[in-house]
Amino acid sequence: MKAALAVMEKDLRLAWRDRAGWLTAGSFAAISVLVYSFALDLAARDVRPLLPGLLWVTFLFAGIISSGASFHGEAERGTLDAQLLAPVPRTALYAGKLLANLVGLLVVEVATLALATILFDEPLLTPELGGILLVGTAGYVSLVTVLATLGSRVRARVVLMPVLALPLLVPLLIAAVRATGAALGEPAGEAPWLLLLAVFTVWSAVGSALLFPLAVER
Amino acid sequence: MSGERSVGANAVGIEARGLTKSYRGVAAIDGISFSLPPGSRTALLGANGAGKSTLLHTLATLVAPTGGSALLGGEDVAEAPARLRRQVGFMGHVPMLYEELTPSENLRFFARLYDVEDGAKRADELLRAVGLWTRRDEPTAVLSRGMHQRLALARAVLHRPRVLLLDEPETGLDAGGIDLLERLALRDEGVTVLAATHRAERIGRWATRRLVLDRGRVVGDEETAVAERGVEGAGAAGRAR
Repeated sequence: MKAALAVMEKDLRLAWRDRAGWLTAGSFAAISVLVYSFALDLAARDVRPLLPGLLWVTFLFAGIISSGASFHGEAERGTLDAQLLAPVPRTALYAGKLLANLVGLLVVEVATLALATILFDEPLLTPELGGILLVGTAGYVSLVTVLATLGSRVRARVVLMPVLALPLLVPLLIAAVRATGAALGEPAGEAPWLLLLAVFTVWSAVGSALLFPLAVER
Repeated sequence: MSGERSVGANAVGIEARGLTKSYRGVAAIDGISFSLPPGSRTALLGANGAGKSTLLHTLATLVAPTGGSALLGGEDVAEAPARLRRQVGFMGHVPMLYEELTPSENLRFFARLYDVEDGAKRADELLRAVGLWTRRDEPTAVLSRGMHQRLALARAVLHRPRVLLLDEPETGLDAGGIDLLERLALRDEGVTVLAATHRAERIGRWATRRLVLDRGRVVGDEETAVAERGVEGAGAAGRAR
């Protein structure tokens, strides 16, 4: 746990000093929401049924951008190896990176929700939506973090993320969109979407933690 | 501070038994066997592509061997990698440092990863020893190549390893930096040193043994005499270990 916290603190400090990852992800999310608000005729149409999908697609790509940035240069400058040399479990290193990515992305997402609340005139900053956001984000960030690690070792890193991550994330995204829709009062069917989202998040976190040692193996 | 050390008192031996690492069927190291006693200081020699870096990375547990075994203190690195990693200090081609962090932050981070007792104090001690005390709060990115290498040296010895694996550690160092490297790492009698180097003219100052690789195989393994010149006076930097 001490090692995971050390890695998390270090990654957050690096992200704060560099800011490129957060700024890119934040800018992407803000521009996306802004474009959606202009694209949809807010006066003539109820946009509420569309919001869950728009928000989660925005969060997904913002997450891929910011998580990828967390591994920027780690392989090239040898700092990933320097951490792997330490006598700590690989999963502790993974947990630290995951927590840093999660914190950074939640900041971006909350800011995006605040902007969307203004632009779409919908109350999006609610505790219920906050819970869905936390669970869903933890799920996809856990997967994206391990894939970003894998990507830092291969030449085809640009295509690795969309090719591997997006298909794997489809079940989580469906559950997250449905759960968000239900929280906004939209009909979401009988399925327990929040429970499914939580199950997928646990599966994703455990699977990724087990995969991480293999992803960094040479 | 560890204070004075007797020869090999804390050091552990390094042994390779038929050690092989292949990449896509091509052997970077090919059935290497050798035994380095505790406290020995070995210069690893060979042309580019001889397998020096692969050997060091394998011993450091960064690369998994495809055949044979590597042992530190008699323990197979493949069977107890986490415990053995605590005993290993590694310095590679690149400094392995975070450019956005300061030298002090870099060392304190790695001290936390290695769970070094009094990590902050140890980091300060080493920053003084490698001559970076006055630059400790500047971003590492603004430091010169040689200063990066000094900081990398401090990172490698931060947790008081019993084995030092060094891959061309003199790269980028000026004469003063090389003297520092020799005092702080290469001539420390409390550790077992295996250092790849192209600086053949300096080997006599610290090496007790030469291991020569050629195309992934050991073609020379002999003990050498350390020249007396410059051996005395480990000085403040040496005592920092």
